[in-house]
Amino acid sequence: MSDKVKLSRAVELISKLSIDKASQVFSKLIKSGARIELEKAYVADISEATAKIAADNNEVVGVYVDIVGDIPLKFLFYVDVPGSLVLSDLIMRRAVGTTKQLDELAKSAVQEIGNILASAVSNVFAADFQVSIKPTPPIVVHDYLGTVFEEYLMEVAVDKDEIMIIESTFFVVKDNIKSFMFILPVHGSEKILNYIVDPAGGGK
Amino acid sequence: MAKRILVVDDAPIIRLMVKDILQYNGYEVCGEGANGKEAVEKYKELKPDLVTLDIIMPEMDGIEALKEILAYDSAARVVMVTAIDQRESLIKAIRIGATDYIVKPFENERVISAVKKALSES
Amino acid sequence: MDAAKDLVVGIADIKVGKSPDSIRTSLGSCIAVCLYDSERKIGGMLHLMLAHVPADVSDENVKKAKFADTGIPELIRQLNRTYGVKPSDVTAKIFGGAKVLKNVMHNIGYDNEVAVREILKQNGIRIMVARTGGDKGYNIRFELENGKVKCQVFGEEPKEY
Repeated sequence: MSDKVKLSRAVELISKLSIDKASQVFSKLIKSGARIELEKAYVADISEATAKIAADNNEVVGVYVDIVGDIPLKFLFYVDVPGSLVLSDLIMRRAVGTTKQLDELAKSAVQEIGNILASAVSNVFAADFQVSIKPTPPIVVHDYLGTVFEEYLMEVAVDKDEIMIIESTFFVVKDNIKSFMFILPVHGSEKILNYIVDPAGGGK
Repeated sequence: MAKRILVVDDAPIIRLMVKDILQYNGYEVCGEGANGKEAVEKYKELKPDLVTLDIIMPEMDGIEALKEILAYDSAARVVMVTAIDQRESLIKAIRIGATDYIVKPFENERVISAVKKALSES
Repeated sequence: MDAAKDLVVGIADIKVGKSPDSIRTSLGSCIAVCLYDSERKIGGMLHLMLAHVPADVSDENVKKAKFADTGIPELIRQLNRTYGVKPSDVTAKIFGGAKVLKNVMHNIGYDNEVAVREILKQNGIRIMVARTGGDKGYNIRFELENGKVKCQVFGEEPKEY
């Protein structure tokens, strides 16, 4: 089996487990059903990936989390501004519509969603693959989506023109909100991902 | 007299939620902290009956803060409230001396039962 | 007359076109270099990430548009190859170079701007507009009809340069 195929299977498996876990935890956090609308792992050209995002350039609230340890990852969660207000109300168990503007509490809600989902992803790795990874403190931003995504890719894109991306979309059915989660393996992580899925054949 | 609790988490929304749960159940929130350094400083200043403590925080994480609080007061009651649901992390915190370990997202009842148990209330 | 193309540039990329096309992108610490030949109404945009190719990487192995030192010559080369435009025919407008992430020590945006100014100068290209810096993102649209750039910094009113 070629290295590329092994890598894809490793990433597919891990992405499915991570996204499934994250959506469960997200639903629990907001006490509302969050359906996985998109769940995929792929290799993308950095220019094409960012051009696609920049094409519909909304204002978003995003949260970055660096996950460190045996398999370093970069995590991003974002939602549009109206969505962030609703999520804030859902987390606080307030009537939807209570939060009317993007204040520090609403930004904190998105920040904490990022923390909890990044932790959920880390927990999957620890439980299912016995690797030690954990998130660092989240950073929340409010800016153009194109800008948020570009800054997110920067570190990984410096010495690579093609990067592995794990992408998912969660749809909160009752309140009609779409939110987006991305995971990028940071350099060196791909080899380790390879190994943990197939220790007998993998690892160079 | 109501028991006094120090609430520490880097997310204002979590501090507010935990504060609401505690106050609703008759506890007094005597202070808040946004990182491990503030947790230790406020513990020394306020001498609360109990601390709720996040793990992933800037400046100083919750595990370091837990160590320092217990070094200052070996009888300190500290309940970890964290999104890290990993055996290694749980065992480490309990070994160092945390009274309980709550995983986010949490149910209100879980927070109250952990606080009651830590304060040895029935 | 050809239909106007709405070209979107991602990071480490270049797009060239002619009137009435438009070229747009959004920026953080990256810088967009817009070159325009006002006589022939032809222009191109480079969206670069960093100032210089790292020392341990050979020029052949990099995406040229990633760095100012390889990207600007590559933008000039594409304008020449596609439309016969020379460096002496164009002027520049530059945007971006913000410091969006507060926790990052190094100001990449600032370094990018310094490199861009130097390399444009080396190629004899005059900078007509430089709207750079700050801590918020940029949304820009380069109109090849007239060379104007609509620029909106996040949280501010849009302006035309």
